[in-house]
Amino acid sequence: MSFSGAFKKVFRKRRLTLREKEAMYGRLFILPWLIGLVYFFIIPFITAVYYTFTKIRIGDSGLEFTFVGFENYLYAFTKDPNYIRTLTSSIGSMLYQVPVVVFFSMFVAYVLRDEFKGRTFARTIFFFPVIIASGVVITILKENVMGDVSQAASSTTLFRVENIRMILINSGVPMWLGQFIVNTISQLFDLTWRSGVQILLLMAALHNIPKSFYEAAVIEGATEWEKFWKITFPMVSPTLLVAVIYSIIDYFTDYGNQVMRMVVTQLNNGRFEYSTTIAIVYFAIIMVIILIVNRVIGRRVVYLT
Amino acid sequence: MEVATKSKSTKVARNFEMSGFGRAIFKKRLFSFLKNLFRYLFIIGMSYVLLYPVLFLISNAFRDKVDLLDPSVVWIPKHFSIESFKLANEILGYAQSIKNTLIILIPSVIIQTFICMMVGYGFARFRFKEREILFGILLFTIIVPMQTIIVPLYVKFRHFDFFYFGRLIGLFTGKPLTVNLLDTPWTFYLLNTFGMGIRSSLYIFIFRQFFRNMPTELEEAAKIDGCGPFSTFLRVMVPNATGAIITVLLFTIVWHWNDYYLSAMFFTDNLPLSVMLTILNERMNLLNNLVNANDIYLLRSSVLEAGCLLVILPLIVIYIIGQRYFTESIERTGIVG
Repeated sequence: MSFSGAFKKVFRKRRLTLREKEAMYGRLFILPWLIGLVYFFIIPFITAVYYTFTKIRIGDSGLEFTFVGFENYLYAFTKDPNYIRTLTSSIGSMLYQVPVVVFFSMFVAYVLRDEFKGRTFARTIFFFPVIIASGVVITILKENVMGDVSQAASSTTLFRVENIRMILINSGVPMWLGQFIVNTISQLFDLTWRSGVQILLLMAALHNIPKSFYEAAVIEGATEWEKFWKITFPMVSPTLLVAVIYSIIDYFTDYGNQVMRMVVTQLNNGRFEYSTTIAIVYFAIIMVIILIVNRVIGRRVVYLT
Repeated sequence: MEVATKSKSTKVARNFEMSGFGRAIFKKRLFSFLKNLFRYLFIIGMSYVLLYPVLFLISNAFRDKVDLLDPSVVWIPKHFSIESFKLANEILGYAQSIKNTLIILIPSVIIQTFICMMVGYGFARFRFKEREILFGILLFTIIVPMQTIIVPLYVKFRHFDFFYFGRLIGLFTGKPLTVNLLDTPWTFYLLNTFGMGIRSSLYIFIFRQFFRNMPTELEEAAKIDGCGPFSTFLRVMVPNATGAIITVLLFTIVWHWNDYYLSAMFFTDNLPLSVMLTILNERMNLLNNLVNANDIYLLRSSVLEAGCLLVILPLIVIYIIGQRYFTESIERTGIVG
């Protein structure tokens, strides 16, 4: 075989099959994301993990790294007086806040589903949190609106939590339940403002349930209660899972979250490596929680297809 | 004769009422009445909770100094004043800050929406081996908070080397070619172009769900008419995705407008509006030349509230304009896991 023949054999323009062509175009479409993933996510992530094993100093030639092993982690868990405490309290309040948020958004989505007068108005208002709640404004609002109890205009205070606590105790509700209700009410502002996106997700899911399911159920003589538990609930269960996971992420990565604040404060104090360490530990814990939740709820989720 | 018919009709009516059918209708009416009653009560109550803070802001921001000390003023100020707004405007540098915000926001939003749509389409409509695993990684990136990788990202933008080309050149010239991109909007443009902007992964997810629900006939028809995959995407899929686009556009605008974490990291001057708002409180003392010290103490919260209003005002205007399209599109987007 001549040289040019061998050359042709190796570099011959092979015609792609239809399947290969499709795969190629698919990869082309996701290419920008893939580059970004590697360059702006995976490499920085690995670098961040490396940082946690070092001590960073600002020297003459920029940042200087010295390898210190697990020192940062040890510091976080054994020496830092705040970290463990903030972490556990943050996880603790997540455990009851997320169910309340999801339940609330499910409820709102259900209420807003049907046609009724003023539906557009109601929706406009309920999506309001999406517009405002993600920024600084909400932090200032929380401090000013909820914190101004001591001010002269106390009649405008949103909820008198103390009164509710008294009523509950007098009516013989168990302490823990009473405390739970009081906690929820005192954070009602927070909860409603945090459920915008979930309401949206669940409403889209409710609208995607085929009407024929309900018609069939009505012919069979199902009550509203049965319709909800036998049709609506299973049909939206995949979205409920998404809503739960979204709420968990949203709760943990909220700028108002105490651990998040710690991360930012440490960063602002110039302790880059420590800030990254607590962020990564925190993130790993979130990951584990989400995996558990996904496993537990995922088993009960109904997929139609 | 008349009497007879009347008695007959009442008899019929009574029979009707007594029958199970009539009772069922009555029950149903009662039920739907109660349902509506409850629904309106709930909506009115929730509207109060949700509108309260905004009304509170408006009420406080328009107050004059005199009213701030007057306990008899609860909601409606006795002396209207826009002094707080003037002061907030002064510290925020409103016009300039909005300009800074828009320089980042407008290109970012357009790029981000388009790129996410493209990637979402790639994930939804093409089969390739590593698709599922890459999609898993995509979901993973939604979960990882920006805060974990912010320091390396900061360093990356401080010495930006054009995806390692700069370092490659450095191998030959001895000095790697890097550029400081901090304090330029390029930090945001680049992140968005490569699908790593603020919540990009979430938008890719939304678009992927949307495109998966589109009928395949659309693409087949386009193929027969001689369109390649890219022109099919641009000329058939994009025009049909208006619902999803509006939803994502609204989210991108809102989240870019409200972002202050990334902006505060990447910018030290030419600060966008949201970052200015975070330092509004600290900068209040700069007002010394405009008002006296006692008044600053008095006006502090009022100015802060006016600042908040100024910051969310453009968003609310956009939302009110786009609200109808937005809520309608939600029903059709099918952003469902």
